[in-house]
Amino acid sequence: MRALIGHAFPGGHYRIEPWENFLLTEATGAERLPDGLAHPIHLFHVPIAGVGIGISELFELAEAPSDASVTIDYYDWEFFEPLRESLRYTMRGGVREHERTPHEDGTIVDSLTYCIEVLAEAGQVVARATFRWHFWRFAE
Amino acid sequence: MKVKVGDRVPEWTLERVTPERMRTVAAIFRDPNPVHWDREFSERVGLAGRVVNQSPVNLGYVVNMLLAWTGPASLRRLRVEFPAPVLDGDRVMAGGVVKAIHSEGGRRLAECEVWLDRQDGQRAVQGIAVVELPTGG
Repeated sequence: MRALIGHAFPGGHYRIEPWENFLLTEATGAERLPDGLAHPIHLFHVPIAGVGIGISELFELAEAPSDASVTIDYYDWEFFEPLRESLRYTMRGGVREHERTPHEDGTIVDSLTYCIEVLAEAGQVVARATFRWHFWRFAE
Repeated sequence: MKVKVGDRVPEWTLERVTPERMRTVAAIFRDPNPVHWDREFSERVGLAGRVVNQSPVNLGYVVNMLLAWTGPASLRRLRVEFPAPVLDGDRVMAGGVVKAIHSEGGRRLAECEVWLDRQDGQRAVQGIAVVELPTGG
């Protein structure tokens, strides 16, 4: 797992489609935001998808024993500009940190911290998502 | 907008978290974790067949509270943890309190302690948010 520190994701682009913003905003119980603003909740999946991976690939990278063996520690979302629909964003990022915690019953928890930046077409960073997930490896 | 340290952020409530919305979110997120959409799996892992709301959506409720308070483009930062899950059928309430106000580049920012509570009092989200206050705040 420690070898993953510094691992860089492929990088790529993402455009938040209006239908996607509509559905995801509605799923939070909110009204659609004005002026093409995207709901900030997009800072969860847009960086992951835009950097050229997916949640499944993050699980595989960490050798998650199962899809249900992953829990979230924290999210740190920074917005330097609001996200908007229909703009082409560029992503860059990777694995920043790893911590392994052994438990008395033999369970091992690998905690990985990821950091992905969202850049506008002009090149400025508009948002940054830093998040840490726990991968639980239960004793047999 | 007049805001001072100690002010409460107006609460935001969702009366019922629904599994239909979780399925929509799982599809958009391409999230393979069955706890969000498979009731049989939920039964097997001891959740009595209730599916688990996605943590970013729980955070989204907190965001809704903040945007309703200071405006749709006001969010600057959120750092949160998720001490308890939200399940389908839960009623959730987002709340917050202003801990500090400071200026940065001519903008007035409010740092708030924020949370999301379930109807049984369990805290599902807790952390810190920073929002830009509207002019005059």
